[in-house]
Amino acid sequence: MILSQAVNGLVLGFLYVLIAIGLSIIFGMLGIVNFAHGAFFAIGAYLALVLSRDYGWGAAFLAPILVGAIGVVVEMLLIRHLYGKEPLLGLILTFALALLVEAILRLIFGGAPVPFNPPKILAGFVEYGPILITKYRLTVLAITVIALVAFWAFLEYTRFGRIIRAGSRDAEMVGLLGINLPIVLSGVFGVGCLLAGLAGMLAGPLWTVNPSMAGGAIMPAFVIVTIGGLGSYGGAIITGLLVGVVTAMTIQFYPDWSSAAMYILMAVILLMRPRGLFGEKWERFE
Amino acid sequence: MTKTTGNGILRTPVGRRGVVFGAASLAASTKLGMPYIGNAAAAEPIKIGMIWAKTGSIVDQAEYLAQGSMLALEQRNNTLLGRPAEIVWLDEPNPQGAQLNAERLVGEHKVVGIVGGALSSFALAISAVAKKSKVPFIAANAAAAALTGSSCNKYTFRLQPPVDVHTRVLAPYCAAIGKKWYIMTAAYAFGQDIKKSFTDYITANGGTVVGADEVPVGTPDFSSFILKIRAAKPDVVIGGVAASDLTTFLKQWNELGMRGKIPFAEIAVGNTDLWGVGPEAADGLFTLTWYYKNPNNPPEEQAMAAAYEKKYNRPAADKAWMGWMGMRALLDSIELAKSTESGAIVNALETWSVTRGDLASAYRPFDHQMTSRLLVASIKPKITDKWDYFDIKAELPATQADVEKAFGSQADSACKMDAL
Repeated sequence: MILSQAVNGLVLGFLYVLIAIGLSIIFGMLGIVNFAHGAFFAIGAYLALVLSRDYGWGAAFLAPILVGAIGVVVEMLLIRHLYGKEPLLGLILTFALALLVEAILRLIFGGAPVPFNPPKILAGFVEYGPILITKYRLTVLAITVIALVAFWAFLEYTRFGRIIRAGSRDAEMVGLLGINLPIVLSGVFGVGCLLAGLAGMLAGPLWTVNPSMAGGAIMPAFVIVTIGGLGSYGGAIITGLLVGVVTAMTIQFYPDWSSAAMYILMAVILLMRPRGLFGEKWERFE
Repeated sequence: MTKTTGNGILRTPVGRRGVVFGAASLAASTKLGMPYIGNAAAAEPIKIGMIWAKTGSIVDQAEYLAQGSMLALEQRNNTLLGRPAEIVWLDEPNPQGAQLNAERLVGEHKVVGIVGGALSSFALAISAVAKKSKVPFIAANAAAAALTGSSCNKYTFRLQPPVDVHTRVLAPYCAAIGKKWYIMTAAYAFGQDIKKSFTDYITANGGTVVGADEVPVGTPDFSSFILKIRAAKPDVVIGGVAASDLTTFLKQWNELGMRGKIPFAEIAVGNTDLWGVGPEAADGLFTLTWYYKNPNNPPEEQAMAAAYEKKYNRPAADKAWMGWMGMRALLDSIELAKSTESGAIVNALETWSVTRGDLASAYRPFDHQMTSRLLVASIKPKITDKWDYFDIKAELPATQADVEKAFGSQADSACKMDAL
């Protein structure tokens, strides 16, 4: 049973990782604490729902791309004006954006939850000894791992990835090298939103799809980014999995405490390692 | 410290504290209210307060509750006692927020009565303000026993039958399936009442509770709870999670292959909770307070359902009826009292009554609990209409005497009613 819960927690953790990674790179590169990240997660779920309903499940994979495109537009119209301003302005604007997106979703789809279930082809589950896992969750696991590896390779081996990594450490130097930083920043925000949209698409058939679904996603993402260490890709992955497993184990032994478990974990880790598990000293954030 | 990049972009550092502050701010700020819909500029209108959630896990039900409430006033052409009347709608993001907004409605907007309280914890918070401020309050959706029990007061009236009445109706059906129950309830008053009342019932009837979990509100993933239930091998699972939490649970119950394997039962569910699950995943045995397809609905309620469907282009969910009925009782009582004075409205509410079929539904003077029947319903084996999910199995209690017995007598009540 404990093994089964651990595996289940890992699956949940991978979903959290996907949400948190986008938040982490937007913060790391743009210096923006994006309260609207959960809203992009919700847009991803709703777009996947509409596309899969009208054009089949294959079309649902367009949802994260569309969310990424929306993210680019949002960065160009709104976020760009926040660079260099008081951090509080970013908090207020992105929070307002989150409320606006929720209101728009409510206007279009109504406040009630909308049915959205996994495709029939992924119905059922597999059992390995004591471990039970559904085919859909296995698929979520596989897609998440592929997305994370692909994104890591993108950061590590592509020119754009190198610019992102360099820019996250010293944006000024990147600009002095003649790189068009505004375009890069739009791209980074778009990629972060794309990852949130992908998480929304994958979580939609598991969670309740309603306009306020962002709340269930954004808090774990903030916790994971904080525990893992700001800007740490590996830290976000390991922490996401840790939060998933800790939550599952708390449900097994102390279910009343399951929603508080990740916050207790965060408090304990920050007391021991104030920069988070894998946090490094970043000059621009000191 | 602020830096300038090569492209002239000013960068203001945001550190770890910023993120932690951000997370904390988010947690706090998501509880903020939204603007009210009332028109403060209107000339001396009678103001009715409405507190239904605009954010949070109960918002899907609250949308219908609010629409039903507003429909009740619209059906009177927005007039009361020959004067214009308007609704001032504030949010109930959490119990503290509900209490603060109730105080705002009384102090700032000078409302003559309040309808609201989508969750029991919210209703209890509003009820405390109603008592302190001496303003009539109709709790139209909350089911926790304390509201008309140990925490009752002269200004609070409750429409939804309390948990123990729902339990008396549904538990015999569950016991007929099997005597080993697993109870999974929300970690607040409503869920805790369900846990206690079903545990009391099954232990008194020779059964056992093989497991019990309290689930935090807003749990996004129930799979770990479901694995525990699966391992315990109960005959029946008794649920006690509300609104979108129930939707999420049933989706994952189906996803993990449990639908049809172990029967699931829950009291006082909302239609919207099941509509959100979808026909392929919906499952369970439930008590409902009202159903739009019940042929026994009285003519006024059928007219309300038709008016609602015409206006909103979808059937009236049970919550729309509850919002409508709660507001109707308050508005009727204001007219009956021929006054907006709170004591007169309370007296009128205590004598207000509506005939539903062969049953007179009214708020009992000794605890202010409305008496009514409940529907026992199961999910249709095959759902062909995206709104019509339920087969009505029974309408209980059967007779007026049975209804009074199910709701308990004054001697059974924990309510010590105070004076005006």
